[in-house]
Amino acid sequence: MLLDLAQNTLDGLGAGASYALLALGFTLIFGVLRRMNLSFGPAIMLGCYAATWVNLNFQANLLLLAVVALAATTLAGVYVERLCFAPHRRGSAIAAMVASFALWMQLEELATAFLPRHLYAFPPLYAGGPLELAGLSLRVEAIVMTVAAAGACALLYAILYRSRFGLAVRAVIDSSTAAELSGINVPRVFAAVFALASAIGALAGILIASAHEQVTPMLGMWSTLKGLAAMMLGGLGSLPGAVAGGLALGLLESHSQWYLGPQFRDLTIYLVLFALLALNPRWMTTRSAS
Amino acid sequence: MAKGTLLLTLLLLSFPALAQRVKAELACAFTGTDFVYDCAINLKRGANPLSGAQITLSADMPSMPMMHNVAPVKAKPGRNPGEYEARLDLEMTGEWAVKLRLAGPVRDVLVLNYVFDESGTRPVLRRSRTAPRK
Amino acid sequence: MDDYAIGVLTNVGLVSFVALSAYLLLLAGEMSFGQQAFFGVGAYAGGMLTAMAGLPLPLAALGAMALGAAAALLVALPTLRLKGLYFAMATLAAAEMMRILFELLHLQREIDGEPVGPDGTQGFRGIRWVLEHGIEPEGYLILVWGVLLAVLVIVLFLENSKLGATLRAVGADPELAASLGVSVERFKLGVAAAAGALAALGGVLYAHHNTYIEPRNFDIMLGVHSLAYALIGGLGTALGPLAGAALDVGLLEGTRLFGGARMIVFGGLVALLLVFRPRGLLDEKVVHWLRARFS
Repeated sequence: MLLDLAQNTLDGLGAGASYALLALGFTLIFGVLRRMNLSFGPAIMLGCYAATWVNLNFQANLLLLAVVALAATTLAGVYVERLCFAPHRRGSAIAAMVASFALWMQLEELATAFLPRHLYAFPPLYAGGPLELAGLSLRVEAIVMTVAAAGACALLYAILYRSRFGLAVRAVIDSSTAAELSGINVPRVFAAVFALASAIGALAGILIASAHEQVTPMLGMWSTLKGLAAMMLGGLGSLPGAVAGGLALGLLESHSQWYLGPQFRDLTIYLVLFALLALNPRWMTTRSAS
Repeated sequence: MAKGTLLLTLLLLSFPALAQRVKAELACAFTGTDFVYDCAINLKRGANPLSGAQITLSADMPSMPMMHNVAPVKAKPGRNPGEYEARLDLEMTGEWAVKLRLAGPVRDVLVLNYVFDESGTRPVLRRSRTAPRK
Repeated sequence: MDDYAIGVLTNVGLVSFVALSAYLLLLAGEMSFGQQAFFGVGAYAGGMLTAMAGLPLPLAALGAMALGAAAALLVALPTLRLKGLYFAMATLAAAEMMRILFELLHLQREIDGEPVGPDGTQGFRGIRWVLEHGIEPEGYLILVWGVLLAVLVIVLFLENSKLGATLRAVGADPELAASLGVSVERFKLGVAAAAGALAALGGVLYAHHNTYIEPRNFDIMLGVHSLAYALIGGLGTALGPLAGAALDVGLLEGTRLFGGARMIVFGGLVALLLVFRPRGLLDEKVVHWLRARFS
């Protein structure tokens, strides 16, 4: 009983780390631009698909694939930012969001045009099996994912609090108008934030793809749902919240699947999400969404 | 009593839907062109093959209904009774709900779920939500 | 008319119901990712009422609309005070919950030796009312568009009335509207119920068109697409969502204009269009201009 609890907790944290990474990317964009980017998941999917394509044709090693994914996702992210967010910077948030949805469709179709099948194998991160410690099984991928999430957090922290760029970003988060008035090139900050968020997303994508050892066309939708849910659970617009939300989502999933069965797992998640939003507690609305 | 039976029989005859339902099976092969499939349809009514039906096939994707428009095709009779052939031009691989609209001796609409991939088709084996939705 | 055209036009009509539903909420200033759930409620309710309870289609449609409105209120009440993305996420969560409930719904009756009714993920087969009443695809197309146009007339009429103006005021500036004595909460609930009923009506028509529905038909994609159609077509008039649906499902998809690259082209065009017209093709300015021109 206790062992199951511990195992589920471990599994939940492992999955949660991937959700945390996704949520970090979403939150970065949302926290700084105050806009919802619906193309984030699909950009990640495009990156993974680009990597898969390279792998299919050139049999590259995982590091090179990661670089390919990084490049593709970041390129897609910048493209989305230029077309969907820069033009609406001072305008309608809904227009930006629907535009990003249009590009979601576009990026997804682009990816599946190159790789139309329903499933593609992806090289695993670690060829061996899970580690066995004290009766618990721990997947190496989960460890790597956790390290990556922690690393991304540390990196973001360093950038935000130890660099001039980070200072500009924080100023924009506080008030983009005031930042602009004090001479900060806000459009450039937005573009850079987008690129950074895309990079984190690409990292998440590659790790997820290799942990599952496959990519499917559902990756875009899946990443979007998990990232959004994690972001919501942890409190919109807060980076530590994104990590907490991601881990919470992972834990909630693994435990509800164990005790309630797979049918009720997603139901539980959505119920919790809805209830939290309906109850509208303080910490979920730390920053108002426009 | 006899009048009742007669009435019932007349009722049954006037409502073909109440008579034995038609069952269909699909077997498709990938022609090599994206994403065209040569399909063989098998119609049975009860235990007997059903010939002479006019079948119009169309398809829709369950996960994105109304967003795909597959051109309806009329099936041609095949070699054996109850068999028909048609060529379906789908937009992509994946799971499709193939709709068979029957005219002729029987009027009916049948919807069959099949997964189409590079090799051909296979019927969808639906399980309850056991696998996490990825 | 050829089979293909009938199919495409019917689909455009059916999707327009969901797009109109999203549009109504957009007017009230709310962005919903969940209208597809009420489409589903209508489909299941309508199907069950005709196939299992033997009701005629018009009655079943009314019943389904009532259920759709009720379901919409169930979602709208707890989320009244939510705005923007929070509201959108809540509607998404609610819609997915409803879809999962459809997956768990097993309710079958034996009719003529065949089980009829929703069977979880296996779906709900045998919604044959239209077939049994001898309505051919052409006839059904006329039915769908007849209902849609009737709805459109009502919505257009209301739009141009004081009700419509108040709705837009509530959407544009709720505080101002409240200060002028409008009960913003009551308005939002009313619109939510109407939008739910509208989507449900579309659902009934969809279920009887297809004769088979399954929970997957009502997934997020339908909802986000419908929202997009409403915004792309334009928020200035109820004809907007129809325009959006017609543009994507009708023009681009129906004509196979770009083969397998439809979304690549359409997606890019939409993003570009929104740069110049953030409130869609038929936005308030265009509608105003058109009205001034032709009055």
